[in-house]
Formats: sequence, C-alpha cells, structure tokens
Amino acid sequence: MDWFFYAIALPFSLLFLASAVYALYWASRNGQLKEFEKGSASIFDDEEPVGQPTDFFPGQQPPPPAVERR
Amino acid sequence: MASAPSLADSLNPAASPDTVSRAELSEIDASTKAPALFFLISSVLWLLVGTGLALISSFKMHNPEFLGNCEWLTFGRARTAHLNSVIFGWSANAAFMVAFWLMARLSRSVLRHPALLFIAGAAWNVGVTVGIFGILRGDSTSIEWLEMPAYATPLLFVAYALVGAWAVITFRFGKSQHIYVSQWYILAALFWFPWLYSIAQMMLIFEPARGTVQALVNWWFAHNVLGLWFTPLGLAAIYYFLPKVLGKPIHSYYLSVLGFWSLAIFYNWAGVHHLIGGPVPVWVQSAGIAASFMMVIPVVVVAINHHLTMVGSFGVLKSSPTLRFIVFGAVSYTITSLQGSSMSIRSWNELTHFTHYTVGHAHLGMYAFFSMVMFGAIYYILPRLLLKEWPSARLISTHFWTAAIGILIYFGALSIGGIEQGAAMNDVENYPAFLSIVELTKKYLLVRSYAGILMTVGHIAFAINVTWMLLQPRVAGATAPTLFRNPTAMEVAR
Repeated sequence: MDWFFYAIALPFSLLFLASAVYALYWASRNGQLKEFEKGSASIFDDEEPVGQPTDFFPGQQPPPPAVERR
Repeated sequence: MASAPSLADSLNPAASPDTVSRAELSEIDASTKAPALFFLISSVLWLLVGTGLALISSFKMHNPEFLGNCEWLTFGRARTAHLNSVIFGWSANAAFMVAFWLMARLSRSVLRHPALLFIAGAAWNVGVTVGIFGILRGDSTSIEWLEMPAYATPLLFVAYALVGAWAVITFRFGKSQHIYVSQWYILAALFWFPWLYSIAQMMLIFEPARGTVQALVNWWFAHNVLGLWFTPLGLAAIYYFLPKVLGKPIHSYYLSVLGFWSLAIFYNWAGVHHLIGGPVPVWVQSAGIAASFMMVIPVVVVAINHHLTMVGSFGVLKSSPTLRFIVFGAVSYTITSLQGSSMSIRSWNELTHFTHYTVGHAHLGMYAFFSMVMFGAIYYILPRLLLKEWPSARLISTHFWTAAIGILIYFGALSIGGIEQGAAMNDVENYPAFLSIVELTKKYLLVRSYAGILMTVGHIAFAINVTWMLLQPRVAGATAPTLFRNPTAMEVAR
C-alpha cells in the first residue's frame, strides 16, 4: 500500500493543491476578484433584466415586466 | 445555432474560443434539452426507488418481522440500497443535470457535444443499477458510502470523467467575461469528486490500506462527498436561483467569493470528526474538530448573504415554487452545517455518536438542504426545457408541504430520540440491558416512519406532475407565466 501513497496519492494531492493555488492566482490576475457589483449582475441581461422576477406558480398572473414600469 | 463543433476541435488547444458567439438564454436551454431530460427522468425514477427502500428499512426498525423472510430485503441490504439509490441515483443525477444546465447558461454558450453527456449518463445509470443490484444480492463491500461492489464502480468513474471533461470544454468556450460564483462551485465540485472517488476506491477496495488508515480514508471520502460534491453543487444552485427568481443581484458578491474559498480550504479536513474517540491519533481528531469549527466561517457568510438578498422580498415565496424550495434548502444548509460543527465537540459527540441523532442530521443535510434545492431547481428548469407550464399548482404545493413538514417531523423525532438514546447508553446504572434502550427508541422510529410516508406522498405528487408535464401536449398560442412569452416564439430551430 505504501507504494500507492508515495507514487500516486501524494504527488496527486500536491498537484491538486498547486492547481487550487494557481486557480486563485489566475482569478486575481484576471480581475475576477474586482468589480463585485458587475459580477453579481452578470446573470441578468436585456432578456431577463434586474427587477423582473422569473418564477411563478402556474396560473398566477405575473406582474407587468420591469421595462414597462419605467 | 452555430454548426456543431467536433470533439477534436474542442480539445485542440489552438482552437480559438473567439469563433463561438454569445448565445441567447432560450437557445442555450434548447440545446441542453435532450441530455437534461435524460438525467432528470433518471433522477426521478431513482427517487421513487430510493423512497421505497427507505420505507422498507424504516418499517424494519420498529417491526423487524416485516419482510423478514426475504433475503434480498434484509435490513443491511435494504438500508444500504436506500443510501446508494438516493445518493448516486437521485441526488447525483439531479446534480449532474442542474450542474450542466447552469454551466451552459452561465458560460453563455450552447451545449457542445451532447453525446459526451449521453454516454456519461448511460454509464452512470447502468453503473448505479448494477451496483444496487449487487448490494441487494449480497455483494456489498461493507464500507460505508462505498458499498457498491467493485464490478460496478469503474463505470461510475468513466461517467464522471466524461462530465468533468465536458464542463472544462464548456468553460473554455464560455462567452461570459465574468465567472459567476456558481461556476466556481460547479467547476470545483467536478474536480474534487473524481479525486475523492478514485483515491477512496484505490485505498479501500482495490489495494486496501491497513488498519485504522482504512477508517480515516473512509470518512475522509464519505464526508467530502457531502462537503466537496453535494454542498458546492447545492450552493451553486442557490446562488443562481435565489437572485434569478427575485430579479435582484446577490447582496454581497464579495461575501460569496469569500465563502467559496473558505469552504475550499477548510472542508477537506473535517471528515475525521466521525472518528472522535476512535483508535485514531488524537491530534488528527483535534485537527478535524478545528476544521469543523472553521467551517462556521463559510456557512455564516453564505447565510448572511442569502438572508440579506431575501430581505424585503419574502412575499415572493408565496408566488414562486422554486423560491420556496430553494429558501427552505438554504435555511436548512445553515442549520445542518452549524449542527454538524457542534456535533464535533467531544463532550456532545460522546452523547450523540452512534445514535439516531446522527441519522437525523444526515437527512437534514441531504434532504432538507440538498434535495429541496434540487426540487426547486427542477421546478425552474423543466418548464424552460419543455416550453410548457407545470400542469398542476396543487401538486407542487402538495409536494412542498409534505416534504417540508415530513422532514421537520423526521428530524425532530430522531434528534429528540437520539439524545434520549445517547443518554441511556451512557447510563449503565439505569439501563444495564441494551434491549431496553432499543425499546425506548421505538416510538421515535414509528414517528419517523409516519414522516417517511408523508414525504413519499410528496415524491409521488412530484413524479405525477413531471410525467403529466412530459406527456401533455402544448396548447397552441398558450402563454406560460414562468416564460413571459409565447412558447412557440421561443422555440429554436434545430
């Protein structure tokens, strides 16, 4: 069993650790850790903008879309 | 829709992601339809199988003669088959579906290589079927969370590797400049699980480690399946659906990034707390306890973030089925995680270890948190895949209330019963006979069975609604409230 630990498990865990550190480094350099407001808004777009709820029980009337309210 | 790229193109490092165009949401949803339906239907079928096995095991706890003559359904097999069918059947299939649907949406690119996902789905479900058949037949490995016999597990690994490869390709050709926090969680989960699974298989099944190292590897694996696979995928779904349903960005994006990285650092250490008091070096146990308490950071950070996003919008809970399930799951995540940390305190562990209290905790995590989040996600995703409305609002309500009340009764009964059981087991003076303690727990186990029946009703309502929705024809010209538009206008020519 020892061979497995030293030959595979240990190198792989170090590789995993290195990849996690690299991911954090990459994220920071790529600007992923800046402009948090933009990040949180990235799931909205013109099709489904901020201010428009997107889920209702079937048969319930949705409120008028946000675009018309403005 | 752009012409389908070949797999070689996607794997070629020189291929330029610039040629891929940013896709419309409806186009992306349409491209995920076939594989997503495959995984979704599989997960619902496994949910029903797992629920049936759960009821059988639960009845046996207070009524051992029930099906006592049936060799295939003795408690050791039925309970194990229940665990494997709900974890690897229901939860994993649902998690795969939600993960790649979200991944495609968040990467803003149409689904590439659906064949990869189909092969993965087929391999996974054949593997789980063979594995559960093996368990019922009596081939269980008797290692908790890895009970499936060795002839089933390589298939699962192949399936997993394919989904992972698919996710990396999708991510690479993504057209969103920003990596949303859900993508961090999904990518991480898809990296972590093959690592956990392959190491655990190697060190426990194919080339077993000796002595207590086995127990350590076992709980490192079992706990991390929850913490580094189901938890990140559940949180990924909450982080997407909560703001998306409300139409309101997450309160603090900074906190969500902090929550992700602290989970990545601390969770991996916590599994040892299952072995407190066991024949494992004390410093290892202490490290596990410390890590369990460090987990308070990501949990509280996530809880604050979700709560502050919800503030002012609690009224939406009335009108959105998805939000009900998701919020129930998010609250349960906080409770179950803090409870988990508290259970690693040595003195508290002395009382609760080896009792039904732990079983209650496990179900609070996997059902009240994870399964409820998956239900919510499915209520959101399926109308967008089929471009149809859910046929019955009443069945959705039935599902929610039976599941929510069922799991709360389940958790309450086993928590109180477990504490009473633990106190009795530590009290040799008054309870010299073990059987008297078993008798003591019987009333709680009976309540657990009733709660189980209630949850089963919910699952049947859910299955009926899904089947009805799949089979019902779409009425021409009908508008679906969840879609805002006429479904025919959204249909994408393929």
